[in-house]
Amino acid sequence: MKRLELVAVLAASVACSAARAEDSVTIGVHASFSGAGAAFAQGMLAATDFAAEDANKDGGLDVAGKRYKILIKQYDDRYRAQDAVTAMDRLMIQDGIHFVVGPMGSAAAVATKDQSTSGKIITMTLAFTPRALGADAPFAYRPVITTGEFSDPQVAWLMKNTPSKQVVSLLPNDETGQQIGVANFNSYTKAGAKLQVEYFERERVDFVPILTRILMKADGLELGGNSPTTAGLILKQARELGYRGPVFVTGGDVAAEMLKVAGKDAAEGTYVHLPIDTSLPDTAAYVARFKAKYGPNMNGFSPFFYAGLQMLFTAMKKAGTVDDTTKIATTLDGLSDVPTAMGKAGWTGEQKYGIKHQIDLPFYVGQFKDGVVVKVATCDVNACR
Amino acid sequence: MTFRTTEFRPMQYAGIAGAVALAALLPWLAPNLFYIHLATLGCINLMLVLGLAIIARAGQLSMGHGGFALVGGYVSALLSMRGWSPLLSLFIAGFVAAAIAAALGWIILRLRGVYFVLVAFAFSQIAVLLALDMSSLTGGANGLVGVPPISIFGHALLAKPQFYPFALACALVTLGLTWVLYRSPLGTMMAATAENQRLTESSGIDTHRVQVIAFTIGSGIAGFAGALSTHYLRFISPDSYTFWESVSYLTMLVVGGRDGVLGPVVGVLVLTPLPELLRATEGLQHIIYGAMLVLCLMFVPNGLASLVQTWRSRQRVVRPSAAVVAEEAP
Amino acid sequence: MSMETILVQTVVNGLMVGMIYVLMAIGFTMVFGIMRIVNFAHGEFYMIGAFLFAILYGSNELPFVVSLVLSVAATALLGLLMERIVFRRFRGNELNGMIASVGVALILQNSALLLWGSSSRTVPSVVSGVLSVGGIVFPWSRLVVIIGAIIAVVSLNFLITHTRIGRAMRAVAQDAEIAQVQGIRVDIIFPVAFVLGVSLAAFAGVLMAPVLSVSPFIGLAPTLKAFVIVVIGGLGSVPGAVAGGLLIGLIESFAGTFVSASLSEILQFLVVIGVVLLRPQGLLGRKEREA
Repeated sequence: MKRLELVAVLAASVACSAARAEDSVTIGVHASFSGAGAAFAQGMLAATDFAAEDANKDGGLDVAGKRYKILIKQYDDRYRAQDAVTAMDRLMIQDGIHFVVGPMGSAAAVATKDQSTSGKIITMTLAFTPRALGADAPFAYRPVITTGEFSDPQVAWLMKNTPSKQVVSLLPNDETGQQIGVANFNSYTKAGAKLQVEYFERERVDFVPILTRILMKADGLELGGNSPTTAGLILKQARELGYRGPVFVTGGDVAAEMLKVAGKDAAEGTYVHLPIDTSLPDTAAYVARFKAKYGPNMNGFSPFFYAGLQMLFTAMKKAGTVDDTTKIATTLDGLSDVPTAMGKAGWTGEQKYGIKHQIDLPFYVGQFKDGVVVKVATCDVNACR
Repeated sequence: MTFRTTEFRPMQYAGIAGAVALAALLPWLAPNLFYIHLATLGCINLMLVLGLAIIARAGQLSMGHGGFALVGGYVSALLSMRGWSPLLSLFIAGFVAAAIAAALGWIILRLRGVYFVLVAFAFSQIAVLLALDMSSLTGGANGLVGVPPISIFGHALLAKPQFYPFALACALVTLGLTWVLYRSPLGTMMAATAENQRLTESSGIDTHRVQVIAFTIGSGIAGFAGALSTHYLRFISPDSYTFWESVSYLTMLVVGGRDGVLGPVVGVLVLTPLPELLRATEGLQHIIYGAMLVLCLMFVPNGLASLVQTWRSRQRVVRPSAAVVAEEAP
Repeated sequence: MSMETILVQTVVNGLMVGMIYVLMAIGFTMVFGIMRIVNFAHGEFYMIGAFLFAILYGSNELPFVVSLVLSVAATALLGLLMERIVFRRFRGNELNGMIASVGVALILQNSALLLWGSSSRTVPSVVSGVLSVGGIVFPWSRLVVIIGAIIAVVSLNFLITHTRIGRAMRAVAQDAEIAQVQGIRVDIIFPVAFVLGVSLAAFAGVLMAPVLSVSPFIGLAPTLKAFVIVVIGGLGSVPGAVAGGLLIGLIESFAGTFVSASLSEILQFLVVIGVVLLRPQGLLGRKEREA
């Protein structure tokens, strides 16, 4: 319908504003800018901002001989399904946008899935739920690596390299927490160990009662899936209770904040998931760019979205269109070894989700040694080495 | 309570008919589906705010309104996912919410106003917690996906222009019933209870019962509306109705006005589109909500609808001034 | 860990959390008892106290006592401002006062979000190390919270029972009109009570900041707890707030340690319903006059 309108406008060849609108592509950012997830939303917006900046630097994105200026429109879904649907509607219908960075939360991704699929909107979600991707959603992509990808290889590696057998995990009682809890449980079982998962209300900041109980018979503590501050806080409180066993954080980008919160002594020896390798020059450049514009606290997912957009723009150029999303999606599906800020990226996930829409990038395991994180293993979806 | 005593004149009938016709024709008038979506949300919000208004009419304030919507949403989602007709499960949802409200209200409404607020608030928190914890039934934090759409005579209301007339009909029926309720003897007792509980009690009216009934009706409407919204979005999760949702219904009620049926309509019309104006901002919309709430209470304590009424009564003979805001003596 | 250690630690932890709740509940119940306002924004003052302390002590590294005094004083000032601008108009008007306080809570919480961002931050511990008694260890950081809270409660109690302003406050709480007739300047008592309540909340926030973490969203949970406690202890009753706070703290600690965290929330709700059914005036509350 929108395209018909556009054709009509073109045919009449009126107002120069319409002509200018034709030479631009707007990317929607659909995330929770207010509320507890705001840091993630900020990271997604920054990535879009940088990707747009890159494209606009040389006069716009060059597609089929035309230069398209990249514009951004961001909407807050207030971390609620109802608002997520409203915001997606507005992006699709009101603003006629074809490309959306988001939705951010799992609830938002699931609630808007049918809607964006029927509108043929290419989405790039942060949602960790397996249900965000699927053969029934041919336009939904996930540019971040989730528990589904990194849990198995990391846990297998950790259980091989540490003596832990009875591991306990503390997770927030929300969608992400519950998903990670189930995924981690399965990974530990596969690795021949036992994981006991304990959920706490999201607002909780005092973990001593729970820790007192669960650490009684544990020889390992898993904190992956918590926010960096929470993971640090739990670690600090566990050490205060006298826990000396190994600690694993198999998810998130927690290293820096954890060190700050828990302190050097408490953090010593802890294994952490490293989503990005700052020894890669492109990745380091992105981190520096973020710091210069948005301050020192970069959300670990931000460079992933930047990489995802790099892939999307590559696909748009290759497909030679900016509004035929079916063609762009088909082209995007076929991409592999695309050079991005995070290294060479492609798609995976056929086995797990029934569709190859999950980004394929390496990730790493690090360990605190004298207050510094040292990379101890490099992983892909199959194994860590 | 000027609204109750006001007799409608032909002019007003025409106005109401015009407004309803305008709302009904919206799918043809609106430039696109987004506006229809907003209008549908407005209808759902109106039902929730009317529910709250009925409770307020009897002099109480429910800070757990979202909790009842959540209960209704889950009940209807679970039943319809097990093969029940959504049209039927909507009503069951309303009844379940009403039954919980009746039991809870019977216990806590024996106490003075403030206790009621606190316990209703605590109830809504517990409802969220249970939805999170009983994950085998409720899907936990992930919520329930793929809730069946409402279908009428085998015709599923999937698309927005199809759902909207149904939502509008529900909202109008609720509005009409509320109006009838306010003019019934029970409505009079409710208003009297709000005005002066002790005096009403001494005239032989069981004010405890009146308040329990008001709470039951209002919460039942919330349960129904929560279910309606769930079938519209075809999704529900514990985050769907939190404390802050209860606060936004309260804001709509206070900004619109607590005295008649016009207040909720005005409140919903003003505050449903408001978040859209501010969607691109971060956090600012909540501050504006808060400020509107406080400023309204300070300067227009009877809500925007009372401005219309003041203007109207000034046009005619001097009437007794608008009723003082419902309040109990300490 | 041995069973005794766990038991003792559970008690200590319950007392710590309980004492923080006591501080919150006393302020809450005082404002209600004197101004007849249910303050939904009470927890936001806790949050602001904690945030200011995190900035002064954590980021700017001012001395502990200076940071503490400045944080509480600044929050108290904000409280005074809110009392002047908003709350005083609604005193005695329970329903509208309560709604207005929800508006204030929205404004304060989201202003903090805009001003300080959403990510939670932590504050370095004021004291470190553990106290070891007979093989049982207590982290000093938690003992400090308990000690600080006890000092605050005792001084408040002295203020209420042994000073003129305290006696005046009690008189106003009992009956504002009669108090006024007897020459008590009610106009002064209201802001004093409100600022005192807010200061207690801010002090609780400062005490908790180094032990836990600080974000704009930490205010709602202690507000809810204060509600539950005053319903249990009796609205307007300070001893009731102390008893209720410790009870809730211990329930939370024991249920959290031995069963599960969310069970403790449900248990608390049931306690509330039970109290309302069996002893509507609260465990230690006076019987309310019939309304």
